[in-house]
Order: sequence, then C-alpha cells, then structure tokens
Amino acid sequence: MSSSSPPEQPDIDVTELEIDVAELEEAELLGAAPRVERALGDVRGRKGGGWVTLAWGLPGFVWLGFYLVAPLVFIVLVSFWTRTDTGFVRHWTLSNYGVLLHPFNLDNSYWKNMETSFVTSVIAVAACLVFGFPVAYFLAFKVQKLQNQIALFIIALAPFWTSFLTRSVAWAYPLMGREGALNQFLLKLHIVSQPVSAFGFSQLSVRLAMIQLYILFMVTPLFFLLGQVDRHALEAARDLGGNWWRTFREVILPQTMPGIVIGSIFIFVLTMGEYGTVTVIGQGAVSSVGTYIQQLVLGIQYPQGAAAAVFLVIALLAGVFVITRFANLREEL
Amino acid sequence: MAPDAVGSTEGAAPAAPSEHSGSGLDLISLTKDFPGGTIAVDDVNLHVDHGEYVVLLGPSGCGKTTTLRMIGGHEFPTGGDILLDGHSLVGLPPHKRPTTTVFQHFALFPHRSVLDNVAFGLKMEKVQKEERRKRAMEALDMVGLTELSQRKPRALSGGQQQRVALARVLVTKPKALLLDEPLGDLDRLLQLRMRVELRNLQRQLGLMFIHVTHNQEEALSMADRIVVMNEARIQQIADPLTIATKPATELVARFMGDNNIIKGKVVENTGGRLVVEDEHGVRASVQAPGDTRAPGSQALVSVRAAAARIDDDGSPGGLNTAACEVVFVEFLGDLVKLHLTSGGERLLVKVPGDHYPSLRGREGETIRIRWEEEDVQLLAS
Amino acid sequence: MTAAAEAATTARPQDRVIKRQLKPKRDWAKWGLGAYFVLFLVFLYAPMILMAMLSFQGYYGGVTFPFRGPTSVFWWKSIFETQVGGIFTHADEIGAAGRRSLWVSLAAGAVVAFFSFTISMAFRRRFRGDGIAFYVIMLALMTPGFLLGLGTQLLWKAMGFNTGLWLTALGANTVWGIPFGFLVMLAVWNRYDDHIEEAARDLGANLARTFREVTLPLVWTGVFGAALFGFTLTWNDFDRTVLLVLDNTLPLEIVGLIQASAIRPDLYALGTATTLVTLALIFSVLIVVTVRLRLRGRRVERVEEELGLEGAIDVAAAPTSS
Repeated sequence: MSSSSPPEQPDIDVTELEIDVAELEEAELLGAAPRVERALGDVRGRKGGGWVTLAWGLPGFVWLGFYLVAPLVFIVLVSFWTRTDTGFVRHWTLSNYGVLLHPFNLDNSYWKNMETSFVTSVIAVAACLVFGFPVAYFLAFKVQKLQNQIALFIIALAPFWTSFLTRSVAWAYPLMGREGALNQFLLKLHIVSQPVSAFGFSQLSVRLAMIQLYILFMVTPLFFLLGQVDRHALEAARDLGGNWWRTFREVILPQTMPGIVIGSIFIFVLTMGEYGTVTVIGQGAVSSVGTYIQQLVLGIQYPQGAAAAVFLVIALLAGVFVITRFANLREEL
Repeated sequence: MAPDAVGSTEGAAPAAPSEHSGSGLDLISLTKDFPGGTIAVDDVNLHVDHGEYVVLLGPSGCGKTTTLRMIGGHEFPTGGDILLDGHSLVGLPPHKRPTTTVFQHFALFPHRSVLDNVAFGLKMEKVQKEERRKRAMEALDMVGLTELSQRKPRALSGGQQQRVALARVLVTKPKALLLDEPLGDLDRLLQLRMRVELRNLQRQLGLMFIHVTHNQEEALSMADRIVVMNEARIQQIADPLTIATKPATELVARFMGDNNIIKGKVVENTGGRLVVEDEHGVRASVQAPGDTRAPGSQALVSVRAAAARIDDDGSPGGLNTAACEVVFVEFLGDLVKLHLTSGGERLLVKVPGDHYPSLRGREGETIRIRWEEEDVQLLAS
Repeated sequence: MTAAAEAATTARPQDRVIKRQLKPKRDWAKWGLGAYFVLFLVFLYAPMILMAMLSFQGYYGGVTFPFRGPTSVFWWKSIFETQVGGIFTHADEIGAAGRRSLWVSLAAGAVVAFFSFTISMAFRRRFRGDGIAFYVIMLALMTPGFLLGLGTQLLWKAMGFNTGLWLTALGANTVWGIPFGFLVMLAVWNRYDDHIEEAARDLGANLARTFREVTLPLVWTGVFGAALFGFTLTWNDFDRTVLLVLDNTLPLEIVGLIQASAIRPDLYALGTATTLVTLALIFSVLIVVTVRLRLRGRRVERVEEELGLEGAIDVAAAPTSS
C-alpha cells in the first residue's frame, strides 16, 4: 500500500521534530562504540601507585630535595640571619629586609635594578611572543610533513644548546660593538655618520641578547600547541563564514593561550634572574638584580644578598600570578 | 513465527558452582574495589569447564574486563577466590599462571620480529634456540603467516597482527585462553570471518576460552555460554539461545536489543498466570508459576521483536496485542524492522524481508500487533 | 545514413571539451612566513658564523671586522698549544678547563638520564601528591641558575663544607637538566603501550626480564635524549657554576678571559670550537632521527582485510610437541 505520489518537499518545523533523546542516550550506553570503551579503559586503567611508584620516585626527589629545595629554603633562612665577617651566624633578625626597604635604598641600586630588570623582562616576553609566534605558526601550519616540521624546528632550536656565553660574546663584539659588523654596515651605507655606541654594551644590546637567548621558550610550547589545533575545526570555521583573522582569533588563539602563558612565565622568570648575560654583554655598564646580589655576595654580605634574593623570588611569584590572571581574563573575554 | 523455545534451555550449565569438582575454572565471590571507592566487580560467581567457550558480555564499565584481568593475574581481587582445577590462582603472578591473555590491541613487541614475538614465551621457558624457532614456525604455519616471520609488527595489517598474537599465546600451551575484545580492532568483514576462525580454533584445540566483548552479535555467535554483566554484577548466565529468547532481567533484555519492554502493574494473578498492564492499556499475559504478587504490584515483561507479528485482520484489542503508529519501516535485506510507537513507548517488530512491499511507505498509519503468551518473558525486577 | 550512424558522426554538446586555465594559487602567507623564518635563523646563527669567520684571521687579527688575514689556523692552534708564534697562549688553562667541563658534563648527562628515567617511571601511575611532585620539577626548570648557585653556596657554608665542582656544581647543573629529560621521557611514555609489558609477563617473563627485554629497548632513545640534554646544558652553563667552583670550567674560563684580557681571536676560536661540539651532537641526533623515520616503512595494505578475504587458521598445523 505504498503511495505512488511523488515525495513532497517537507516543510520542516524544527520544533515539531521528535527526537527521543532518552532513547538515543540509552542506546549509546548499552551499545557503546569500541572507541568510548577504549578511552574509558585508559583512564581507569592507570592504577593508583603503590610502593613501586615510591621506589621509582624516591631517589630523584631526594636528589632534587637536596640540590634544589634545600638551597632555596636556605636562602629564605639566611635572609633572616646576621652577617659576620666570614659569612653569617644563626642570629635571627629582620634588619636585612629593613636595609633594603630603607628609604635611602628605595631610591637606589636595588630597587632601581629591580625596576630595570622588570622592564627588561617584560620587553623580552613581549618581543619573544611577537617575534616567536610567526615562527611557530610557520612551522606548524605552513610546513607540510611532520618530519620536516621537526627537522626545521631542531635547526631553529640548535643555537639554544650552544653556550649562551659564546653567543653573547659573538653578539656583542663582532656584531654589535662600536666597530662591529652592524655599525660598519650602517656607516658604509651612510645611514649613520657615527658608529652607534648604543648597540654595544648597553641596555639595548642586553635586551636584544635576551630575546635571542630565550625566544625558544616561547616558540616550543606554541609550536606544540599549534600542531594540536584540529585542522578540521579550522575548516569548519571557514565553512561557517569566518575570514582568516576571525578564525585566528576565535579558534587558534584560545587554543594557544596555555602555550603563551607557559612561555611568558618561563621567559619572565629566567630573564629576571639573569646574571651571566648581563655581566658579559653589559660589562658593568648594565646591571640587574642578579649582578646586584652578586656584588653583595662578593662583599661577604650573605644575609643581605639572601634578602635581596627573597624579594626577587617574591617579584617572580607576583609576575607569574599576574600572567596567569591575565590569561584567565582574556579567556573570559 | 515464534521459534519453539519451550521453556527448557538445553545444555545450559549451572550458574553457580554447585560442585567444586576440582576441574575447570571457578570464580568464587570475586570482588574488586578500587581505592577511590568504585566497585568494579561485585561478588561474581562462575564455573567454567575445560573446553568451554564462555563470553563475558556487557556495556562498557560493567566489570567484564576487570574480571578477565583478575583471572589472568593483571589485577588483584580485593575479595573472593579464583580456582583452576582446584588450585587457587590468586597468589600467583601472571607468568606463573597457566592462563594467557590476548590483549585488545594485540600488544605485540614492536622491536622484535614476528618470529621472535611468537617465540617469546618459549624463550622465557628457557627452551633452546633451535627448538624455539621450530615450534614458533609451526605456530606461524597454523595461522598462515610463515612468510612474514621476519617482519616487524608495524609492517602487518590488523588481521595479521591478531593472528601473530594468537600464535604467540598458543605456543605456550596454556590451560585457558583469555581474550580481551580480540575482534575490536578489525574491519567489519574481517571481524565476521574471524568469529568463525576463532571458534573453530577453539573447538579443535579443546581449550577453555574466556572472551570479553560488548558486541551482542559476537557473543551470540561464538559462545557456549554467555555471562551478561552490568555494573559489576552478573545479570544472567545461560547459553545464547536462552539469553536471546528468555532474558532474565531488564538490562539483559535491553542490552541484547530487539526486545519490547512492557513496564506496568499486575492486574490479575490467577493460578500462576499474571496479567500485566502498562499505563497505556497494553496488556500482556505470562505464565509465572509460583509468583505470588498481588494485583497492583509492579511487574516487567519483555516480548522479542521477532515474536511479534502484524495483525491486520481487524480483530479487536485485548490481551497480548497493541495498537501502534508506524514510525519507520527499516529494510535490512533479509528482514524488516518495523519501528512503532504506542502511547509514547517505542516498540519493535521484526518480519521477514519479503514483507517489505506491503509495508513500505506506511509511516504514520496505525496498525495492530500481536504476540503469543508463551513468548512473553517475565523479567526480574 | 541510419540514425545510429548519423548520431555517431554528429558532435554532441557534451563532447565539447572546455579547457580552463587553472593557476595554482600562490600561498603568499607561506612565502612571507618562510622568508621571516629564514631571517629568524639568520638572527640566531649570525653571531656564531661571524665569530667563526673571525677565528680564522691571521696573527694581526682583531676583535672585529674587517677581517685581517691571511686566513690561517693560527688562533685555533693557540688554544691547543702553549706557545705559538712567539706568544704565550692560554692553552694550558683552556685545556684544563676543557677537561673539567668534559668530565662533569658527561657525569651530568648520566645523572640526568638516570633521574629523568626513574622519576618518569614513577609518573606512569597516578599517585598521591603527584601534583606537588610535578610542581617541584617545574620549579627546577624555572629557578634562575644564579639563585640556585647562591642557595647552594649558603647551604654548604652552613654545613661547614666548601663548595666544589663535583660536590655542588654537578648537582646544581643536574637540577636544570632533569626537567628537560623528564619532559622527554613523559613524551616517550605517552606513546608507549602498557599492555606490552603485561603481555610479556603473561608469557612468562618476571619483572626483571620484562624490563630488560621489553621496556628498555623501547625507551632507550628517550633516555639517550635526556643524557644529551644533561650534557649540553652543563657543558654551556655559567650561572649555576660560577658561584660554586674554584677551578674553572670552560664557560667560566671564557668569561675570565673576556674580563681579564683583551679579546683576541683565540677566544673566537674557542667559542667556535665549543659551539661546534654542541651543534655536532644536535645535528647527529637530527640525522639519526630522520633516517629512522624514513626507514619506517609504508602503510600496510588492508584491502584484503576489509573484504574479509584474510584470516584462515589451520589448526591441523598446530605445534604438536607437548
């Protein structure tokens, strides 16, 4: 008794569609696809660790406890102790902090250094983000085969493993110095009439060096996360009418946010605590919190140095905190 | 036509271990709690004879895999015991147990050749190199992969990997083979083919196989007995015919699919014959000797979709019929599934495929379906 | 003509072939970003290349350009031999520092590999406090080296011992290397199928044999990578080591030379040499990885499988020896 009239175009009223959600859910529960079960199995299969886990983990954490945690704890401790001519003695005091917070000092070296270092770090983070993102984007989206992506990534990465010292030296003298290649280049082209000394041992060159040294920390997480962006989701976004900028903002950027956060944290923390680069490139003309503390140490002012270091740590933690808050805020937006 | 499932379930082995005859596998009050508080397996009792093919069937998370892993020694029970031929296995690590497991994604050793994979168990038994190779090649011959003996697993297709996995476990001559979703990774047609091959293999080897799956068809096709599990407990243990025609609980009826569940109240209980009526007036009668429920109490029955038929000759309503609206006529080659709705409840009727011409395009019409009292199954609540 | 024959000769509309010129669209973004990438690489490699170039100057070579020839290996020789061309070089100290660096870096590589492996083994399961443990590892990554050096110095002073290369600098350097190695091992374990170990145990291998025969062969590349990290990071470290040693490692030696004397091209030669060591290691790893990926083999044909044509098992051929 099938009707022989041609099928008519149904006028679909979405509200009238009866989809038995309950039954669909039940069907899924009862006849779960293998993929679901596999996923569940993986999550539940990671059994809680027993003594075996402890045995594996103990040596490493004891080592780290002794060589990482104990030294840091000790910095805090010593900052409350009193200095002696040979070092320090366990006499509790707050004077070290008092000295640093003294109005005289607030105007001077330590906090000035803190400020400078802070500015340098912020610049480094921003610059690494701006200059590093296109690199990560290029590798993740514009290079075809995965093995080529990785090969190029390693090539870009390799300089990181070389001594930052030699790179700093190479940066400072042959390239950026008064008689360096850059200045000679500019002179030859008559862009400047005098060698620009600012390129040499200056805040600028320190900052440029920092970028070069730490940009890896931004490129790596970004590269990794960009590689995880679902290409199909991008196509879907295009399909639904997004142009490149909107797709970028709505789809790609949120997914790379964690990478930006991680990279920023690393770069911020490591540049604030920088010592070697500043010493080599700054050559005394530039100082940072690190060099300041080093001066104290050289002057056998351990407790003072420790207190200064504690403030540095506080500044680091504050910075990390701000960065993560900022990221969350952006996610809300 | 309702098949003649006349109450008795031929060949059904006992569910509970009535005799610890000392032969075969016994799970006694087997329980597994996880530290977080989840109970994965709750008081499971099962006896399996040597040479039996038993399938643990159930939805994901029901505890079937955990049970299997406990038998194999990859999980420790928190309660109960596991006996093989009278000896407790619980204290033994996997390599000391006479059971071997075939894992879901085959778990072949990627850095070793096929031959070395198959010979691994023998190597652990300290068999000499020449002897090892000979027996491994024999096993490979059995699964038809001798030419691939030097390949690495990643150069094999899924079906080939599975056969290597089988050869690898059989070479060690286990007393029982445990299989965790062995056919899950295969393409559909190969799955169907491998069901036959695996079952034949088991028959000819005469080995106890315990096979875990969530695929109802697979269980029906391969098992001597099916153990249906849900939420850590056993729902029903019976041979495939019984499971398919006489599900014992609502979960089994729903999970096996193609069952119509009628949920209602007892309106009559005369001499072991219950009449159950649901809220839409559909009434079903069932023989339930010994059931003393009074009218008004809850009851649950199920009718197999294949047992129902279309009753178009206009006879009136009444017991064991329902008036329904046709939602979808699904043609599946050899059969037609008629999706119906009656007062909001979904019902299903399966008829032979040659009925399709008379059913096509009748969506929206009202038809009457009918079934026999003997096909009504009372479900435990 | 018959209708058929006529039809055969007449051109039908659908026979007309339309040729469209399809210009492949240029991916401007790709070329632009590619150029940027090249610039980026130049930015990173330029200093080293310049330094390398300047290291080949002759005796009158200066700190910077222009290149004062003749091209020679004079300055290269000066880092190995104590007396070259009538001047005394720093070769002795450089050699001593270099040897020290080499040994401590090798040791650091071993230590980092060991701890990265053991700590990552612990992380294969969930455990109470694994969050804190992970943060401790991240702390190791994020602590400025200089702070660590300071703290270590204070700690050992309080304990009454002197700091030294092997007692403290080694430890402090491994603190920086372990997180890197750990992350590498985490990636390795992620790709690893735990069931393989269960299968091995099932087939009769006890814990030790499973580890030896199955686990180790599959993860040793990660361990090697961790060792590489440990080595290179220590080879180049300055911040952590500077406060903790009396005898120089190579980086300390370099800084010392910079600060004590005028920069001469021997420094460039030294810098280029140390850089080459690192780069050689990195690129050799790159080559090995690439070669292994190439040899992986092609995708396996599955058509027969999909058609269900495969799968015959012949039980008659089952192993017969009992």
